[in-house]
Amino acid sequence: MTTLIAVGAGIAVLSGIGAGIGIGIATAKATEAVARQPEAESKIMKLLAFGCALSEATAIYGFVIGLLIIIFLK
Amino acid sequence: MSDLSTKLQEALDVKTMFTIHLFGLDIAITESIVVSWMIMAALVLLSIFLTRNMKIDHISKRQAVAETIVIKLRSFIEGMIGHEGKAYVPYLITILLYIGLSNLIGLIGFKPPTKDLNVTAALAIMSIVLIQAAGIHKKGLRGWRKSFSEPVALVTPLNILEIIIKPLSLCMRLFGNILGAFVIMELIKAIIPVGVPLIFSAYFDIFDGLIQAYVFVFLTSLFIKEAIE
Repeated sequence: MTTLIAVGAGIAVLSGIGAGIGIGIATAKATEAVARQPEAESKIMKLLAFGCALSEATAIYGFVIGLLIIIFLK
Repeated sequence: MSDLSTKLQEALDVKTMFTIHLFGLDIAITESIVVSWMIMAALVLLSIFLTRNMKIDHISKRQAVAETIVIKLRSFIEGMIGHEGKAYVPYLITILLYIGLSNLIGLIGFKPPTKDLNVTAALAIMSIVLIQAAGIHKKGLRGWRKSFSEPVALVTPLNILEIIIKPLSLCMRLFGNILGAFVIMELIKAIIPVGVPLIFSAYFDIFDGLIQAYVFVFLTSLFIKEAIE
C-alpha cells in the first residue's frame, strides 16, 4: 500500500513537466520581445508574470494533490 | 527517515492555540489566526505611527515616508487595475501588505498564516465576492447577468463555472506555493542545519513570498478589470 501511495504521489508531481515547459517558452518569448523592443519592457514583464503565474499553477496543483494523497491515504 | 516525516507532519499541522466559549459555541483559535492578529496589529500600529500629526506644509520626515509609501503603492496597483477601478485600490493595497507580510513572517520564526488552507480560502472568497460585486456595481444586476452569456450563449456554463474556478485557483496557488516553500525549507533545515538554509531562505521565503503576494493581487485586479469592462 505504501509503495502504491508513493507511486501515486510521484505521478501527481509529473504535472510539473507542463509548468516547466510553459514557463520556459514564456520566458524565451519575453526575452525575445524585450530584445526586439526594449521600450516595452515593463508591459512585457507584467504579461510574463501573469503567464508564469498561470502556467505555474498546474505544477502547484500537482504538488497539492501529491501532498493530499500522502496525508489522506496513509 | 521516519523521524523526518514525523517532524514534517508536525510542521504541517495547524495547532489550536486556545478555545473561546461564546454563546455555547466552541470557537477554536488556531495558530494562523493568532499570527494574523499580530500582523494586523503591526500594520495598524505602523499606520497610526506614520499618519500622526499630518500637516499640509512643512511636513515631517515621517510624513514624507508615509506619503512616499502610499503614492508608490497606489501608482503600482493603479498600473495593474487601470483608471476605471480606482475605488478598489485601497483594498488591493491592504491585501498586498497582508499577504506580503504573512509570507515574510516565516523569517522571524512564526508559521506563515498563508500556509493554512483556510486563510487562503478566505482571501480567495473575499476576492471573488469583490469581483462579482464590482461587476454588479458597474453594469447593474441585469447587465451582470447578461455578461455571463457573452460573447455567445454557448459559453454560459463555462462562465458560471469560472466563479468557482477563479477563487479555487487563487486559493490553491497561494497555499501550494507557501506550503511547498515551507516543506522544502524544513527538509533543508533537517538535513543541513548550518549555512545552506540561508541561501535557500532568500529565495523561498523572501523572493517567492513577495512574488506570490504580487501574483494574488495582480490576478484579483485583472479579474476586477475584466468584470468592470
